[in-house]
Amino acid sequence: MAGTLLTSQAEEFVHHVQQADIVIGIPSYNNVRTIGHVVQAAQAGLAKYFPQYNSVIVNSDGGSTDGTQEAVLKTQFEERHMLLLPTPQKPANRLSFPYHGIPGKGSAFRAIFGISQELGAKACAVMDSDLRSITPEWIDLLVRPVLLHGYDFVAPLYQRHKYDGTITNSIIYPLTRTLYGKRIRQPIGGDFGLSPGVVRAYLDRNDWESDVARFGIDIWMTTVAMAGGFRVCQSYLGAKLHDAKDPSSDLTAMLTQVLGSVFSLMEEFEDAWMPVEGSEPVDLFGFRYQVGLEPIPVNLEKMLRAFGQGAQDLAEVWKQAMSGDTWREIQSLGAVALAPDASTRFHLPDELWVRVVYEFATALKRHPVERSHFLRSFTPLYLGRVASFIIETREMNGDEFEDRMEALCMTFEQSKKYLRQVWRGMQPTPAEAEMLQDNRRR
Amino acid sequence: MIEAIRSILERAGNTLYALLVNTVPALLAAVVILFVFWSLAYALQWLAGRLVRATALDKFISEAGLTSMLGPAATVPASRLVALVVFWAVFGIGCLAALDAFGMVTTSRIVDSVLLAVPKVVIALIILLIGFWLARFLGTSTLIWASNEGFPTPRRWAALVKVAVAFATVVVASDVLDFAPQVFLAAFIIAGTGLALTVSLALGLGSRQSVQAQLLADKRGETEERGVWHHL
Repeated sequence: MAGTLLTSQAEEFVHHVQQADIVIGIPSYNNVRTIGHVVQAAQAGLAKYFPQYNSVIVNSDGGSTDGTQEAVLKTQFEERHMLLLPTPQKPANRLSFPYHGIPGKGSAFRAIFGISQELGAKACAVMDSDLRSITPEWIDLLVRPVLLHGYDFVAPLYQRHKYDGTITNSIIYPLTRTLYGKRIRQPIGGDFGLSPGVVRAYLDRNDWESDVARFGIDIWMTTVAMAGGFRVCQSYLGAKLHDAKDPSSDLTAMLTQVLGSVFSLMEEFEDAWMPVEGSEPVDLFGFRYQVGLEPIPVNLEKMLRAFGQGAQDLAEVWKQAMSGDTWREIQSLGAVALAPDASTRFHLPDELWVRVVYEFATALKRHPVERSHFLRSFTPLYLGRVASFIIETREMNGDEFEDRMEALCMTFEQSKKYLRQVWRGMQPTPAEAEMLQDNRRR
Repeated sequence: MIEAIRSILERAGNTLYALLVNTVPALLAAVVILFVFWSLAYALQWLAGRLVRATALDKFISEAGLTSMLGPAATVPASRLVALVVFWAVFGIGCLAALDAFGMVTTSRIVDSVLLAVPKVVIALIILLIGFWLARFLGTSTLIWASNEGFPTPRRWAALVKVAVAFATVVVASDVLDFAPQVFLAAFIIAGTGLALTVSLALGLGSRQSVQAQLLADKRGETEERGVWHHL
């Protein structure tokens, strides 16, 4: 199967190498500034922690024009003496090739997984190419739980600024934790360790051409691993410093692709999440330490304005997705968001936010034709929630912020009964309620 | 004199009698036909409504998102719509049959032309249904896009798209029906050309500086944009 996914260059490489124990995969697109550091860290990590294993570093590139592929192949780890290795080590094989398929991280991963399977790797790790804080220890922390401790899926745990990763904090972490009962704090972290079993499960699926092929890949991998009953754990990797996203790219599309994947997977894995009650921590590896974090600038006024404007313009779209009570509460908050003192007064409560998320997830299932409208109209709601959370947590330190996150997660978990009700159609939307009344009258 | 009047009255009476003899049975037949078809249409309407409700088509259509084809009228269930269509289809046939009962050349021609037009009308209706759904869908897409991009007056942009698509649909439907196609086509071309010319003049003469300012603001806004997004 994997053979059909690979370019002739990749197939030739597989034929030449024949077998590998560890595959390190790095997807890239115009990352010449940072990818050299990532490759060096991977080389050093493999040499220091896994010298007895055959290893391969694979760069799956999306057609970079800035010399990313050349950088991968030319990068040499010159300072081996600094690792204090007892004997000289053979450097890992390297391959850099352009992948086939829809441009995106998902397609890049698919090719990496194909190579991993073809080489019969016992462990595969993937990591972003824009990382500036990666160290050789990351390789150990992502690969060792799979290679030597029988885990199938290793998720990263980073120390991040409280305003970094707001989509994870507002929706993805609380929702996946509530659905599947596992407390994986960074489900869309981007750096993962994988067993051959879970790689096979990914390759056997046929939804690679959907949102998964783009930004939805991380949550897709995490969800498939959790819902598929694979052994999951987390590794503490310290701080995650990476390049700021390109502001010219369509970031609404990024948000909708991630959300689209989460909500689609909810439909597929309904039987897996419906019976789950509460959540449990997963095993954690790595030594926890404090790190200095880069402050994240936020534009509160613009977020509030986007939410307030959205409440005015998109009221009819939201009305189709939300229950009457939820819609009315959101509409009244829209007016508050546009008031001059909104940056101190605006507050979107947890309980209301949870209802919004659950009702949108259900609306996507019930109205597939309107799917893209609902997803794209979610952007102002998300910005409103982020603004509210920023106002509320402005004075909090890291620990206090995590406590606040825990409270939000508990609200998600406690409202799961409501999710089950709306999901099973026990709570009709206003339009459906009107239709039912009309039917009864007749 | 009296004889002449009597003769005229007799002629008039004969004509009236002949008219009554010829028309009343046809009229009675038409009324009976109308009543029978109305009863049949009413019964079939009731049956179709029940049948559609029993097969849970309402729920299916709602879940498939097809009710959105009708926009805000989506609150009218599919069962009600199907029942109405059945009623008017059957009653319409009844009306044509009633007209035909008079056996006149004119009525026969009307019946024939109506029957011949039925396929075209059905096609035109389908075109209108799809076109109006598309107008609504694209209008909503424009609304969401304009709102997310922070454009001023997103509702107006959405309305413009809706009207344009709906107008194009009407032009196509009128062409299918052969109903003043040249007039609609000409109106469409004039409206389209006028819009293009207006936009060109507005940008070329009046709004050149505004566009330039907007582009510069967009460039400056990149930094501001980071504050909104890069913490994703």
